[in-house]
Amino acid sequence: MGSVNPFFLGCTLSLVLSLSAFGLIMIFTWRRPKLSLAISLTVSTICLIIAWLTFIKLSALKEPLILSVDWMMSDQIRVPFGFLLDPTSLLMFVIVATISWLIQLYSIGYMAGDSGFGRYYAFLSLFALSMLGLVISSGLLQLYICWELVGLSSYLLIGFWYEKFSASEAGKKAFVVTRFGDIGFFMGLAFLVLNFGTLDIHSINSAAMSKAFPAWLLTPAALLIFCGIMGKSAQFPIHVWLPDAMEGPTPVSALLHSATMVAAGMYLLTRLFPFFSCSPTAMTVILTICTITLLLSSTIGMVATDIKQVWAYSTISQLGFMGMGLAAAGLTGGYLFAGFYHLTTHAGFKALLFLCAGVFIHHFHTNDFFVMSAKGGRRLLIPMVTVTIGALALAGIFPFSGFFSKEAILAELWNLPNKMWLGLGLLGAFLTAYYTFRVIFVLLFPRPQAVGGGHGVEEEHGHGHGQEEEHGVPWVMAVPLIILAGFTCVLGFLQAPIQKFLLGEVHHHAPNYVLLVSAVGCALGGIGMAWLDWGAKGAKWEGFIRKVPVVENFFIQKWYMDHFWRWFLNTVIYGLFSRTFTYNDRRVVDGGVDAVAFGTIGSGRLLSFIQTAFLQLNLLFMVLVLGGIGIYLLMGR
Amino acid sequence: MESARMLVFNQLETYLYLALMLFAIGLYGVLARRNLIAVLISVELILNAASINFMAFNRFLAPTPAVGQVITLFIMAVAAAEAAIALSIIVAVYRKLRSVNIEQATELRG
Amino acid sequence: MNWLISLITPVGLASGAFIMVVAMTLLGALIAVAARNIFHNVLGLALCLIGVAGLFLYLNSPFVALMEILIYVGAICIAICFAIMLSAPMYLPLPPRHPLKILGALAGAGLVFAFLALLTKKTTWAAASVRSDDWSITTIGHYLLTDYVLIFEVISLLLVVAMLGAVVTARGGRGSS
Repeated sequence: MGSVNPFFLGCTLSLVLSLSAFGLIMIFTWRRPKLSLAISLTVSTICLIIAWLTFIKLSALKEPLILSVDWMMSDQIRVPFGFLLDPTSLLMFVIVATISWLIQLYSIGYMAGDSGFGRYYAFLSLFALSMLGLVISSGLLQLYICWELVGLSSYLLIGFWYEKFSASEAGKKAFVVTRFGDIGFFMGLAFLVLNFGTLDIHSINSAAMSKAFPAWLLTPAALLIFCGIMGKSAQFPIHVWLPDAMEGPTPVSALLHSATMVAAGMYLLTRLFPFFSCSPTAMTVILTICTITLLLSSTIGMVATDIKQVWAYSTISQLGFMGMGLAAAGLTGGYLFAGFYHLTTHAGFKALLFLCAGVFIHHFHTNDFFVMSAKGGRRLLIPMVTVTIGALALAGIFPFSGFFSKEAILAELWNLPNKMWLGLGLLGAFLTAYYTFRVIFVLLFPRPQAVGGGHGVEEEHGHGHGQEEEHGVPWVMAVPLIILAGFTCVLGFLQAPIQKFLLGEVHHHAPNYVLLVSAVGCALGGIGMAWLDWGAKGAKWEGFIRKVPVVENFFIQKWYMDHFWRWFLNTVIYGLFSRTFTYNDRRVVDGGVDAVAFGTIGSGRLLSFIQTAFLQLNLLFMVLVLGGIGIYLLMGR
Repeated sequence: MESARMLVFNQLETYLYLALMLFAIGLYGVLARRNLIAVLISVELILNAASINFMAFNRFLAPTPAVGQVITLFIMAVAAAEAAIALSIIVAVYRKLRSVNIEQATELRG
Repeated sequence: MNWLISLITPVGLASGAFIMVVAMTLLGALIAVAARNIFHNVLGLALCLIGVAGLFLYLNSPFVALMEILIYVGAICIAICFAIMLSAPMYLPLPPRHPLKILGALAGAGLVFAFLALLTKKTTWAAASVRSDDWSITTIGHYLLTDYVLIFEVISLLLVVAMLGAVVTARGGRGSS
């Protein structure tokens, strides 16, 4: 290799810089907030510039650029490390770099005065490193390493206010629950290596497309890898960590929910899309799970009172929606465009929603949007406008970005022979619009008298700095909101260019008016329902679901999933495995070690009479043996 | 006139056996004496036996006869260092145990 | 009377002196090991070392012989004398020797002696084909400062360390005077 490709150099540079920012801050400057901020923000800006430059320069890319170095080789097995730059990874690279830059900017305001300011920025740098590494990695093992790094950094950030018990618990929960899925992912990797002998993403995809893998081997591998995706992207039934992850600082939630942690799962699904689509069985499973997730989280979102919880459940449901889009495309031989496009637009508007929520939380010191509303949330002009834009996008209203990407996904669902999926997708869209606008209407039309003590105004805002009573929003927090709102407005009209960039060509199909009308109808229906329940003058301020208390309770209890896992943990893990393993540990492992120790001591005692402390006796034996052996050896000669 | 080679002091084996005897006597001393100083003296005998061997090989076998002498000088230097350390240890042991009898230094008995 | 006359020839004189030197060495060694009085041991050692120096003379190395006397007899024996004076009072009665221990030591030394004697006897000693006859002190000095200069330096370091170690050990630990 003569000259190094400048794009790979740029990729390496962004990774190395992020890592060194993390190291520098953690080792040297964590006591000095200003310096740490400067280091981290500089690095992040450089990454942003590199990402956009690479993106623009490579926008007419025909063949993927691959830099692959064999990190480990053993007989038939090759484990490559390197970079794979193709449209998918380039787009994601830009998204990650942009969102994490905006979050870093926003956090200047949000985290100001926090005692762990430097540490916070170090973790953000680590997060950027792991996510960028994940996005551009060329091999699945490298991706897995970054995947775990993402898990680690999200653990660190969710449990950032570790002195709060619930925060450290939430961090642990996120780490352990995603680990369930990651075990599956790792087994999938081992399965791939053993059966196909390669972990290179590009060669796996091209081999899968040329039908080189038998289906009965491919399906288990795909399902195992999907376990990892389920964990990371919080799909049913291991979605339970994501709502708890709200314990972290709100910008972190924005980062987690839009471009990094949960997006990593869907990104992997996109990355291995050709591979996955070779297994209709796996794709059907994915479609089912994603649909369940969509409905489950939408319904829980309808009854949550914590603004971050609502957005969290909306993230889960939108991830399910993306998964549905990808799976449907895989089943009908379509393209990965719809799901990935939704991932892109979702990254924009979900970051926007969370950052707006962060502004409200920062201002009112509460997570409960009923309380926010009562305290006059609508007076914060910029966040109010931007949160409405984000909500319109989330609900899928023209002309915001969510409308276009949802439309694309619903079009994929339309192609499925069984129209049940389309119906469920539309139901999901309806519910999404409903719970989103529930928040918006409550914020817009406050009714101070309606807020009893029932909601409990808890001080969720962990960092207790002396809040100066400023009215308005600091510019470092407002600018990212405006930028993201701009993205949300514009991204929808970039559908054709993005499609051209991702697929190399634009697939025009005749607009499906039935679908269009039904989708917009569902969204408007949801909004209208929300208006009737929460917005209108005579509205009861009760969800329509209140009419069926059993169901409402079921939703409030989050479908009893937490209870289920608690029970599962208590009976199966603690009751069965833990007890068995404890017994094994006590009796077999400890017992074995004890036996060895006692045996050693006992035999030492037994033989200690040899150690008479008479040096000359020892020496005598040595000499006798030496002489004896010497003579014996000489005898034969 | 007999050949000079036949003379007893012109034969390698004479010196080797002599060194061997010195070595055996020294070894006996190390094994049997209880006084630490006597043990040290015996060790010096063993070292001298080694020196004699070197000098004998140097005289009768080696290609360059200066090398053996150099090595013997080195042995002497090492012996001096060893004697200095050993004597200081003996003095320390005497301070601690009020005796230089090796059989009384039994603190490490198992 | 023939053998008596043969004694006064140079060769005879040399042989006689050699026998005396050997006798001195072995006698000295025996005294150094066997005498019960520790001071006699040192004297025996000195006698033995002087004998060894004589052997070195017979081995064509007057310089090393001189060094032997200087270092061993002059330095080490004197140092041992000091150690004797600093440690055990000589008037104390020694505990009786254990016959079994003597026997064991004799057996051990005898066994090793037998082994090495057998080894010496069974080996064919072959001289180097080309041998230089340069025995001069100049050459020794030359070697010390060229080929063996590293060892030379290391030994000087060793001597320093030994000296420091001896001081520290004999001082009796921190704080004692």
